[in-house]
Amino acid sequence: MPARRSHRLIRVGTALAAAGLLAAAPADSPVNVPEPAGLHEGVQQGYTPKTLSGAVVVDIAALDALMPKQPLLIDVALADRKPANFPADRPWLPAHRSVPGAVWMPNAGAAPLDPVREDLFLKRVEALTGGDKAKPIVTFCHPDCWGSWNAGKRLVRQGYTAVHWFPDGIEGWQDKHETAVVREDPEWARKPVSAGER
Amino acid sequence: MKSALSLILSASLSAAILAGPVLSGPVLAAGASDTDAERAARWQEIAKLVFGDRKIAPTDSLIRIDAPNRAMDAALVPITLTMPEKDKIKAVHFVIDDNPSPYAAHFTFGPAADPSELKLRVRVNNYTNVHAVAETKDGGLYEAVKFVKASGGCSAPMGMSDEEAMKGMGDMRMKFSGEAVAGKPVEATLMIRHPNFSGMQMNQVTRDYTPARYINKLVVTAGDKTVFTMDGDISIASNPVINFGLIPEPGKPIKVAATDSQGGSWEHSFNAPSPSN
Repeated sequence: MPARRSHRLIRVGTALAAAGLLAAAPADSPVNVPEPAGLHEGVQQGYTPKTLSGAVVVDIAALDALMPKQPLLIDVALADRKPANFPADRPWLPAHRSVPGAVWMPNAGAAPLDPVREDLFLKRVEALTGGDKAKPIVTFCHPDCWGSWNAGKRLVRQGYTAVHWFPDGIEGWQDKHETAVVREDPEWARKPVSAGER
Repeated sequence: MKSALSLILSASLSAAILAGPVLSGPVLAAGASDTDAERAARWQEIAKLVFGDRKIAPTDSLIRIDAPNRAMDAALVPITLTMPEKDKIKAVHFVIDDNPSPYAAHFTFGPAADPSELKLRVRVNNYTNVHAVAETKDGGLYEAVKFVKASGGCSAPMGMSDEEAMKGMGDMRMKFSGEAVAGKPVEATLMIRHPNFSGMQMNQVTRDYTPARYINKLVVTAGDKTVFTMDGDISIASNPVINFGLIPEPGKPIKVAATDSQGGSWEHSFNAPSPSN
């Protein structure tokens, strides 16, 4: 893996140097990452596949085009982690900026996920879609983040027929649009988080 | 540290890549949007915590921020603060509004300082306003603001083991530029080897978070006089580099004393550039 990654980074560097421009989004990875049979159970950060079977992969233009249909926007990005030894007398003010209107369920794309949490995730989506399996849904987190891929996969498996995966995530959005401070979904926040999940 | 990025995928690099010209058209105008109000409210919240009820006036003349509109590396965003009316300046505060720990640095200048220009490198977590607040000797507070596009800097791994990142911790170098003329300021660059772990960086192999460990205090003196003291934070980039102006005391060393949040403490002494005449 390191070799592949460095290869990509070199390529990016070359592109930068050659064109004086920056390369395309990270989802456009030079290596073909295959879709795992099930969920991705490794580290969340890393190259992701170009596809998600049963879902539509969207870039910012496609997402913009989808927005008039008022899709359910599901952000599974991790919350900023407060360092355990952070001094008590310094301001700690995490603010999660995301796509305006998104429902933020931090780390809902983890795998394996505590079955209680997984069930809650699916229940929340069911409630938020009003049980309409055909309602457009968009899952996202950050670039090179498996969390949103897993979240999308979970919904495809659950029978949702209009799942969209937006791999460029919050960075892809904020490059073109304003973000909004989004609070954690209250139902998601209410449940205890298993140790080690963060 | 950049070469190390080739080993481990860096969130900051991802952000830099994303910040591409694919979307280099006009950024959606904020206008008098909710976002502007939200960002203003955020700044008010931070300002209240840092400055209490003290009033902060906007300024075009007392302090200016230069930073890239788009940072190539969100973990290493260069910031230049310019304070042309240097004799009025007592201190400067630097705030990265949307970082979870927004209060990045506080510099207090002493009699051996030339505060006309100060440079440092910081971590930026998200597209954000950054604020620099100059504190004048008469007690006034004056703010400048700039929007910076960078993302992922606080959690970006250094791309090496913690042990490797801590190698030589506390080593320092200082370089001077400009001709030394008695009584005139020179520009100094202080480089400190220190990972300045943010506590938000995950070790990609063990999946543990590296505990925060950062330079929390820096005192620079020229002879018997203080140049500046700095209160630091996790938002300062690894291997801190600080450019500043100072007025050397002929024949007397420039001393740097640093402490970190885990009890580390280092002192180094440098020969001041001596005037040739």
